[in-house]
Amino acid sequence: MRARPSRQALLYLGVVLTCGVLLFPIYWLVITALSPADSLHHLPPKFWPDVPQWGIFREIIEQRPIPLWLGNSILAALGSVGISMFVSVFAGYSLSRFRLRGGPSLGLFILTAKMLPATLLVIPLFGIFRQLGLIGSLWSIILAHATLIVPFSTWMLKGYFDTIPRELEQAAMVDGCSPLGAMFRVILPVATPGLAATALYGFVLSWSDYAYARTFLTNAQTNWTANLGITTMKGEYITNWNQISAAAVLVALPIIVIYLFLERHLVGGLTAGAEK
Amino acid sequence: MAGIRIEHVTKSYGPLAVLKDFNLDITDGEFVVFVGPSGCGKSTMLKILAGLEEATSGRVLIGDREVTDLAPGDRDIAMVFQNYALYPHLTVARNMGFGLKMRGTPAAEIDRRVKDAARILGVEHLLDRRPRALSGGQRQRVALGRAIVREPQAFLMDEPLSNLDAKLRVHMRAEISALHKRLGVTTIYVTHDQIEAMTMADRIVIMRDGEIQQIAAPDAMFAEPANLFVAGFIGSPGMNFLKSKLTMGSGAGTVSLYGQDVKLALPAEPLKALDGREVILGLRPEHITEGNSPVTFTVSPRLVESLGSEKYVYCDIPEANRTDIARAAGVDDERGDAQIARLINAGDIALGRPVQLGFDPARLHVFDAETGRAVR
Repeated sequence: MRARPSRQALLYLGVVLTCGVLLFPIYWLVITALSPADSLHHLPPKFWPDVPQWGIFREIIEQRPIPLWLGNSILAALGSVGISMFVSVFAGYSLSRFRLRGGPSLGLFILTAKMLPATLLVIPLFGIFRQLGLIGSLWSIILAHATLIVPFSTWMLKGYFDTIPRELEQAAMVDGCSPLGAMFRVILPVATPGLAATALYGFVLSWSDYAYARTFLTNAQTNWTANLGITTMKGEYITNWNQISAAAVLVALPIIVIYLFLERHLVGGLTAGAEK
Repeated sequence: MAGIRIEHVTKSYGPLAVLKDFNLDITDGEFVVFVGPSGCGKSTMLKILAGLEEATSGRVLIGDREVTDLAPGDRDIAMVFQNYALYPHLTVARNMGFGLKMRGTPAAEIDRRVKDAARILGVEHLLDRRPRALSGGQRQRVALGRAIVREPQAFLMDEPLSNLDAKLRVHMRAEISALHKRLGVTTIYVTHDQIEAMTMADRIVIMRDGEIQQIAAPDAMFAEPANLFVAGFIGSPGMNFLKSKLTMGSGAGTVSLYGQDVKLALPAEPLKALDGREVILGLRPEHITEGNSPVTFTVSPRLVESLGSEKYVYCDIPEANRTDIARAAGVDDERGDAQIARLINAGDIALGRPVQLGFDPARLHVFDAETGRAVR
C-alpha cells in the first residue's frame, strides 16, 4: 500500500528538519572557521562569508602543534581501543556462551560501571595514576578511556555474539577445533562487523574525551591530545574563534572520514547485533 | 567405519533428568533414527555422542575405543546440524575442507576429497560461492559434503531436513538414504518426524521423556508397537484408541465395540490377567474399511478430507468406547471422541450420510489401560 502524498511530504519535512537541527552546528563551525575574525559578531549573521578564509587551516597548523596533538589522540584512541577489545571480546564471548554462576548479575554489574559519570571516576583514577607515576603519560588516558569503553563494548559484543548460532562453534569443534580455536577461526571472523562497530564506538569515545586529558595531561604539553590542545587556544582576553573552529574542523575530520567509509558495515553490524 | 555402543548413559541438569539410562548397540554401517516429540532427549543423546555435551554418567564407545571423555574433534565423527551451521565467511570448498585442514591433511589431498564429495552431491559448480549465495537445498548438500569429505567413523545428523520445504524434504530424504547405501557409514539421525524415521531407518529408537520406549525396525515398530505412546506416534494418521472392558469367554477374550461383542484374535494366555478390567484397543485408520468386514458398524461422518487417492473420514466413537488418550500420543490435540478411517479409493462419502465401515478383529492392538503396555 502506498502512503498518501501529503503524508509522505510531511515525512520528508520531518527528515529535513531533523537533519537541519543535527547538521547546523557542524555547518556553523565551518562558517566560523572560514570567516574573518572581525566579522563573527555581525548582526544579522552572515550564512556564508564574502571571502572564505581557506588559509586559516595552514595558519593554525603553522602556529600550533596540531599534527602532534592529532597523533597523540590517535595513539590514545588506538591504545584504549586495543586494550578494550582484547578484554571485551573474551568477556562478551564468555557472557554470551557460558552458563556461569551469577553470570547475568555479573553482566549487569559490568554495565553499572558505564552508568557512573566520567567525572566521578576522575579523582580516584588520578590518585591511582599518581601512585603508578603515570600522570602526564599517554598511558594514563589510555587506561582511563579503557575503563569507560570496556563495559559498554562488552555488552555490545555479548549482544552480537548472542546472534551467532552456537552450532557454528559446535561444528568447528566437531571439525577438530578446540573451544578457543573455534572462537578465533570461526566466531571472530563471522563477528567482524560487530567487532568493527564496537571498536569504532570506543575510538570515538576516546577521541572525544576532554575531562581525563585535562586532568592527567595538563602539565605535559608534548602529550596533549587534540581536544585538550584546542582549549588552550582560548586566550584570557582575546579569543580567535575562527582559529579554534578551524582546529575543531581538523579534529573532527578523521572521525567523519572513518564513518563515511565504514557506514555500510557499521549499520549492518549494529542492527545484526541488535536482532534476537 | 565402526559400530557404536552406548552404555547406561544418563544426563541431568540439576534435579531434571533429561536422559534416563540410555543403552544402545549400533552395528557397523547401520542407519539408526532417534525419534520422539520435542524435549524427549534425542538431540541431547546425539550431542553426548558428538562430545558437545557431557554425560552425567555412562560410557560411549565408537568401534573399540571409549570416547566418553574425548573432545568432539578427537572422536572421528562428523555432524550435520539442523541449521546447517556452514561457516558464512568461507567458500563452499573451504567449508567442506575445514575439518581436513584442522587435521593437517595436505592441501592437494583436501582439494581432491572436496572435489570428490562435491561431485557425489552435485555441488561442484558451487565450490567458490559463499553459503549466503546458496538456496536451502544447496546449503543442505554442502553441509552433507562437509561431513562426507572427512570420511569419519560415523555421521550424526540432527534434524537436517527440518528447515527445508515439504517437497525438497522428501527429495533430500531419498538422497540421504542413497548416500548411506553408497558410503555404508554408520549413521545416527535425529528427527521428530515419524515419516522420516519410517522411511530412512534400519532401526528406530523411539523416545519419550528421556527414556527409550522401543527399539525396532520400522515395519516391526508399526506392526507391533510396544505401548500406547509408540502406537500413537508411529503411523499417520495416528492409531485410533477405543476403550472397553475385557471379558474372558471360552478360550478367547471378548470386548464390546460399537455395541457389539468382538472376539479378540489374541491368544487367551496373556489376556487372562486382564479379565474383567478395562483395556485400550488400538485400530489403525488404514485397517478400517468401507463395506463388509468381520465386524461392521454404521456411522455418520462428521468430516471428510479427500487427498485424491484416499479419504480421511472422521466419525464419532460411541460414548462407551471413548478414551481420553489423544491420538498421536499428545502430539496433536485431537480429542478421544473421534476416530479416523483412511479409505483408499473410497466411494462417494458425504458429511452426515450414514456409511458402513468395518474392520477385522485380527487387526486390533490390545493395551493394558493401566500401564499402557501392549498385550501379546
